[in-house]
Amino acid sequence: MKQQALANFTDIYLIAIAFFLFLSVFVGYIFWVCRKGKKKHYDYLSQLPLHEETRT
Amino acid sequence: MSASNDSSSGFVQVKYNDEIVRMFTLATIIWAAVAFLVGVIIAAQMAVWQLNFNTSWLTFGRLRPLHTNAALFAFAGNAIFAGIYHSTQRLLKTRLCSDVLGKLHFWGWQFIIVLAAITLPLGLSQGKEYAELEWPIDIAVVLIWVVFAINFFGTLLKRNEKHMYVSIWFYIATIVTVALLYIVNAISLPISFFKSYIVFAGIQDALVQWWYGHNAVAFFLTTPFLGLMYYYMPKAANRPVFSYRLSVVHFWSLIFLYIWAGPHHLLNTALPEWLQTLGIVFSVMLWAPSWGGAVNGILTLRGSWNLLRTDPIIKFLVAAITFYAMATFEGPLLSVKAVNSLGHYTDWIVGHVHLGTLGWNGFLTFGIIYFIVPRLWKTELYSKKLANIHFWIGILGILFYYISMLAAGITQGLMWRAIDANGNLVYPDFVETVIRIVPLFFSRAIGGVLFLAGFVLLLYNVYKTIKQAPKDLADETVQVKGASFAVSHSERGHRKLEGMAATFTILALIAILAGSVIEVVPTLSISKYVKTENKVEPFTPLELAGRDIYIKEGCYTCHSQMIRTIHSEELRYGAASTIEESMYDRPFQWGSKRTGPDLARLGKKYPDLWHYMHMENPRAVIKESIMPAYPWLISSKIDFENLGKTISLFKKLGVPYSDKDLSDAKTSAKTQALGIAARLKDQGVKEEMSDKKITALIAYLQALGQKGAQ
Repeated sequence: MKQQALANFTDIYLIAIAFFLFLSVFVGYIFWVCRKGKKKHYDYLSQLPLHEETRT
Repeated sequence: MSASNDSSSGFVQVKYNDEIVRMFTLATIIWAAVAFLVGVIIAAQMAVWQLNFNTSWLTFGRLRPLHTNAALFAFAGNAIFAGIYHSTQRLLKTRLCSDVLGKLHFWGWQFIIVLAAITLPLGLSQGKEYAELEWPIDIAVVLIWVVFAINFFGTLLKRNEKHMYVSIWFYIATIVTVALLYIVNAISLPISFFKSYIVFAGIQDALVQWWYGHNAVAFFLTTPFLGLMYYYMPKAANRPVFSYRLSVVHFWSLIFLYIWAGPHHLLNTALPEWLQTLGIVFSVMLWAPSWGGAVNGILTLRGSWNLLRTDPIIKFLVAAITFYAMATFEGPLLSVKAVNSLGHYTDWIVGHVHLGTLGWNGFLTFGIIYFIVPRLWKTELYSKKLANIHFWIGILGILFYYISMLAAGITQGLMWRAIDANGNLVYPDFVETVIRIVPLFFSRAIGGVLFLAGFVLLLYNVYKTIKQAPKDLADETVQVKGASFAVSHSERGHRKLEGMAATFTILALIAILAGSVIEVVPTLSISKYVKTENKVEPFTPLELAGRDIYIKEGCYTCHSQMIRTIHSEELRYGAASTIEESMYDRPFQWGSKRTGPDLARLGKKYPDLWHYMHMENPRAVIKESIMPAYPWLISSKIDFENLGKTISLFKKLGVPYSDKDLSDAKTSAKTQALGIAARLKDQGVKEEMSDKKITALIAYLQALGQKGAQ
């Protein structure tokens, strides 16, 4: 199947763009999410549904 | 005023618009009853063909689109809107942007559903799965969606909470992507108020349809419900989400990967191989973010597993996420070419879809309903016990349904491909493979009845809960920190954050456009894939009239027109279908289910009289057939008047009709009909059939596979 698929990759540049896009986006947000010193920020965000408001 | 400022303390009073949430919640429940009931009816029709009642608007082919549209747009749609309006106001700590737009959204959406419920049984259909609605309703859907988008983004702009919780991200992706999918897939040209043709043809239409169809699952049944999961699971468990970081990775991975997966609905077909491979690769990759999200949802319960025993809401939510995990494991599995060759076109796919819709969407919605109804009506749930019973009956119903369909699908798939030592099909008669699984259609119907019975308990429980609610249902008022105090850098900072919401939306749009453009655009230049030596004749005017009837009756819900590149299929039906054969088909009719056999090479296989008898009473020619009868086709007349318009439109869209074809459309259709009617008369049909719909349908069926390029 692989050979057949590769033989039919007439739009190879599109696949290359897709691969580059996916990889760069994935690596980018993994780094972004795992930045140091953001624990407090994520803790705050995760509490948002729970600490919504003070009822009056 | 919905909010009042207390400038001395920096707090503002916010009064949530709960009325709109109550309205959408009730609409969800009402339309769920309709969608489930129609589902049970069509499930019963599969088991007992007599339940089609020989009545056009009660026939499976017309009710099945009603069921899918009701489940998708009416049940899931209203559930999404209820949940989004409820959670968004609370997550952004502000009232809905506009009450008027909210009401316009609500009543507009219900009006669309009513129009769909009337037009689909009447056979007014574009013949594209999950996108059957005719063009005026399509326009209404887009307009109301825009109203929803304005209201949502308006709320986002006036928020008092500067950070957007991950649920909001999922809602944004939903709103943007559904708009794009729906508009592109519905681009059509009308010939009358009730009839239009899609601009895409053949392979283009196939790819656009499944780009839409698969992502309707992704962005209508998955992303908004994931957003709801990320809000209601922590609320119900009273614990924060297991990992917020994981939710971020989950979001971006999911929306980036999902959009590419559409071609897995077209494996082993005439679709270019590179697109099939692309669809497979991205579908398999989808497993990772899907399970990442599911694990994140379930582990939110860490430390509170005891709630699973005591709280029916938690039971529903956790079961829903489990079903999501099951369905998103099975999806990539079915996208592997070898597995797909067995499962595609069988009931396994039906089972797979219902694992997601009943288990994931259904149970998540039920959990949310049990959670928000007491809060919105300011009372306690009438009966936890009934909710628990609902849960177990529902689980039983889903399991009955799924196991029946899994067994039916694998059984039939194996029978289709069984070849003996001499290289012949073991089950050459298609109906043999149907008889074997009819008992499973019964047990599937039982599963549906159980699921519906559980839902009736919810209906009663909600009714009693609302009945005991206080009459004064004033909107909930809360005190929150004002926007200017929530952001440390005053207006400048706040503007910056508003800009981030816009930036975020654009980033999400880029993520989904990347896959869309790379997949769809190349096929728009179809000439690249069409072999010029494969000449194809377009359908004659009468055959086109027959094709319209084929679409109107929903024949595509049970018959495919695509012989796959699988040896057993070529043995059963003939040479594999080519791209060229369907290059003028608007809409394409490759289909997604074979309750009956493939029809791509049906033409000239049987005499006209066989088709006449088969449509009048299928049992007259195939004793064990479960197909409905279509007696009205023998009495109702062909619409010759619109044929010129159809030919003219197709000519403009590039179908090689000559000027003479156009000017003679009506005459040539009548001449061809006279020929078929004369043959029918010779073969023993007493009545004059030259102006009857059955004649046009016979012309079309006899033309299938007879136009060249095989």
